[in-house]
Amino acid sequence: MSVFAAINVEAVVIFSIVLSITLGVTYWASKRMTGATTFYAAGRQITGLQNGLAISGDYLSAASFLGIAGLIYLYGFDGFLYSIGFLVAFLTVMFLLAERMRNSGKYTIADVLSFRLRERPARTAAAMGTLAVAAFYLIAQMVGAGVLIQALVGIDFSISVILTGAFMLCYVIFGGMLATTWVQIIKAVLLMAGIGVMSIFVLERVGGNPIELFNRAEANTTAESTFSLAPGTFLSSPIDTVSLGLALVLGTAGLPHILMRFFTVPNARAARSSVVWAMFFIGGFYLLTTFIGFGARAVMGQGGVEAAGTGGNLAAPNLALELGGGAGTFGGDLFLAVIAGVAFATILAVVAGLVLSASGAVAHDIWSSIIRKGKDSEKEEVVVARIAAATIGVIAILIAVIGGEGLNVSFMVGLAFAIAASANFPALVLALTWRRFNTVGAVCGVSLGVISAILLIIVSPKVWPGADTVTGSPIGWTLANPGIISIPLGFLGCILGTLLSTERANERSFHELYVRSETGLGAEKALPGH
Amino acid sequence: MVDQPDRAATPIDWEAIERSPEFQALVHRRRRFVIPCTVFFLSWYLGFILLCAYAPDFMGERVYEGLTVGYCLALTQFAMVFILGLWYLRKADAEFDPLAERAIEAYADDEGHPGGRQVKRERVGATSTTVEGV
Repeated sequence: MSVFAAINVEAVVIFSIVLSITLGVTYWASKRMTGATTFYAAGRQITGLQNGLAISGDYLSAASFLGIAGLIYLYGFDGFLYSIGFLVAFLTVMFLLAERMRNSGKYTIADVLSFRLRERPARTAAAMGTLAVAAFYLIAQMVGAGVLIQALVGIDFSISVILTGAFMLCYVIFGGMLATTWVQIIKAVLLMAGIGVMSIFVLERVGGNPIELFNRAEANTTAESTFSLAPGTFLSSPIDTVSLGLALVLGTAGLPHILMRFFTVPNARAARSSVVWAMFFIGGFYLLTTFIGFGARAVMGQGGVEAAGTGGNLAAPNLALELGGGAGTFGGDLFLAVIAGVAFATILAVVAGLVLSASGAVAHDIWSSIIRKGKDSEKEEVVVARIAAATIGVIAILIAVIGGEGLNVSFMVGLAFAIAASANFPALVLALTWRRFNTVGAVCGVSLGVISAILLIIVSPKVWPGADTVTGSPIGWTLANPGIISIPLGFLGCILGTLLSTERANERSFHELYVRSETGLGAEKALPGH
Repeated sequence: MVDQPDRAATPIDWEAIERSPEFQALVHRRRRFVIPCTVFFLSWYLGFILLCAYAPDFMGERVYEGLTVGYCLALTQFAMVFILGLWYLRKADAEFDPLAERAIEAYADDEGHPGGRQVKRERVGATSTTVEGV
């Protein structure tokens, strides 16, 4: 499409507005930076409503916005299945982890494990789990950002990745969690407004009748299209569908950048209300993916498939162009630019949250607690956290630039969720609820979860012997999503490791963790003031 | 920088709190709510996923014109999340929080000193205005 070939002026203007606002917020936040609690947890002064918005901003990645819209456009109902899994996952977070994390943790999820287990092995395992998830998720988002900005604005892939990375690092290094939180809040508001306006336009196109949306979408399927109102077109292997469903609903509860958000509120009550706020924002968003995905099919039909690109990622921006009046019109270009700006803000907010959680694992868990054994000053820890964020960010930028567009984004996001569900989730839940759980169990569970998820992905048909080949796996492995095997293995590792080791669980600190996680007694306090 | 000021400042008898009837009541009542809810939502969700995986034709059946059984069941997942979320919020505010406060009455205070209950109540009450808005 011709508008994508040259630099899109409207898009550059909108991108600049997004960047100036977020940089302003970062400057404001940098003036309020007082120490580690501000850097990692925004002083624990974020309210329930603000944190609900920030969780939405942290969670709804470009994969949710452009990816799901594209999948629905290409395959129909199967794309919507992701929306459901990503949302229901928040019930897992609410019932099992949100308040307990707030009550027992400080800056990272490793704090919760090391509370009652031997500190060095438990922290190392948890930090590895965090870094594995953050690394795959971060690289996936960076590659996605490059592809997207290149297509929407006309800036070269490598430059797009470097620009995204530079701004991400700026927010995190100078503004810490406070700036990251507000970038996420701004992004959440922009994203909701963007998808809301698009949905109204789509609804207006189909005469205000949502059912007409499905009718027209179906009428727009041709012999060569894969679109269907019934499931089974994209996820054609039943066992794979179940495996994916499991990883989605349990994986969110193991995502370090999401769990870290619960350390930013003053108490468990605010943590609880923030999850419910997030459920409504995220639920509303995913409900509206119906209008964007099915709407793209109803409005653009089969003719838009080529322009929608790989995985249909450009279906939503193309739909905006069409709704605004079509290519070459001012309305069309403007609407496209706005949606591109929203997508850009979306990526920035997610990668900032990821880098922050990874820098916490390096600085708070590995450097401060393991290498310096808690003898470093708070000032030193923040300096190390900033250096860690810069290093992690630069590595992610380099991998994304070198790997280029060839890196398979959906595979890396799938891997991140699989590792989160198989390694982080079992260890966290058992540490908080199982009296006998011990260090050997945690280390075995996290290791088995990480290793099995990675190995099963490597031998899966889409990856081995190369991405998107049709020859299949040489060892005959047919499962694309490892969850159904690796999640039980993660739990099994925790349980067998605990039962087979001679180590006695530290009963004393389980009493403390148990009472603290249930009541909030002794929980980290919010900074005073403001 | 691993400081644990609360543990050092006031010796808290965690085991005694754990044994107290208030704490036991809190844990039992929360479990009586959370465990059935978790079993329910996981079953309803996995049931939906299993139907999508193994009964695509049923999910594709029409309820009215282009509206399918699958989409209607998907809408029930949204409804489930919203209802369980609000229900837990109300239940926790009305039932679990007061029990938790009573269980740690002797210690609860911003500073970790006894006798600070009033302060604590006020602070918690203040945040609840954001809660009701949901």
